Amino acid sequence: MEISDENFRVWAERNQVYFDGVFRLAGPDAYAPIYSLISGLLHEGHKQVTFNLTGLEFLNSSGINLLAKLTIEARKMGDLLLVIKGTNQYPWQAKSLPNLKKLHPLIDLRLG
Amino acid sequence: MTPTVYGKESLAGISLGSATRLTLSDGPLQLGWKHSGMTADFIAEVMALPYSRSRKDYTQAHHDIGYLSNELIENAVKFRQPGEILIEAGIFDGAFLIRVKNTIDGVTSSRFQQLLHRLQSKDPGELLLEQIETNAISATSGSGLGLLTLLSDYDAKMAWAFEENNDQRIILTTTAAVAMPPSSNL
Repeated sequence: MEISDENFRVWAERNQVYFDGVFRLAGPDAYAPIYSLISGLLHEGHKQVTFNLTGLEFLNSSGINLLAKLTIEARKMGDLLLVIKGTNQYPWQAKSLPNLKKLHPLIDLRLG
Repeated sequence: MTPTVYGKESLAGISLGSATRLTLSDGPLQLGWKHSGMTADFIAEVMALPYSRSRKDYTQAHHDIGYLSNELIENAVKFRQPGEILIEAGIFDGAFLIRVKNTIDGVTSSRFQQLLHRLQSKDPGELLLEQIETNAISATSGSGLGLLTLLSDYDAKMAWAFEENNDQRIILTTTAAVAMPPSSNL
């Protein structure tokens, strides 16, 4: 399961989703296939799902909307633990990822 | 006609005479979505150079300039009426300033002004979370998060001027500023 173009790659391995590169897609419609891929994984019955964002260099605001929508999806499934692994290496992550914690206080947000 | 201004009025009136000026024109280039990212990357490469003495400052400056420029230019590309997009950018008094000018139609203008009205009475951080919750339950064509993330996560200062044109179109001028790291060799 993988979606990519010349600037980015997103793929799933068991209960982990990896984001890599620069995501600047043109709005929610363009992000819809990625949303479906990950939303499907959230509903596979795992106890824990991890979004690994340590290779996610840049995300435009429509991409931030994608992460927020997925966080809300996880919030609706009471017994699923969502772990979000980020990095301080890319400045947008420390600025914008804490918003996800406001949407869903039970997520495990790790900025390394 | 006097333009209708929202946001920080002093920013709308500031002169960017010594700024770098770029024009994205329609024509052989077939101006499209990809040009917003390319142009934002170019502006970030050029404008972050004075911060290259410190790796941390450079990364911060390059990213903040890139994100701000990308969101403004994406909006211009997405909502513009046929015609050029004029971009002015520069570092002034320790802040990166960018001004983007393009024409939009009446419907886009009124929808946008409604959002700006809401911004006048609410905290952008609160509005950002509200907008995210709304987007999660409705299928909208735009996420509407660009300006809200800039105001809330980047502490950007912004101003919007709407000026009516003769032909029913509206000239929208967006000016935005973000603080840069204190050390530079400017």
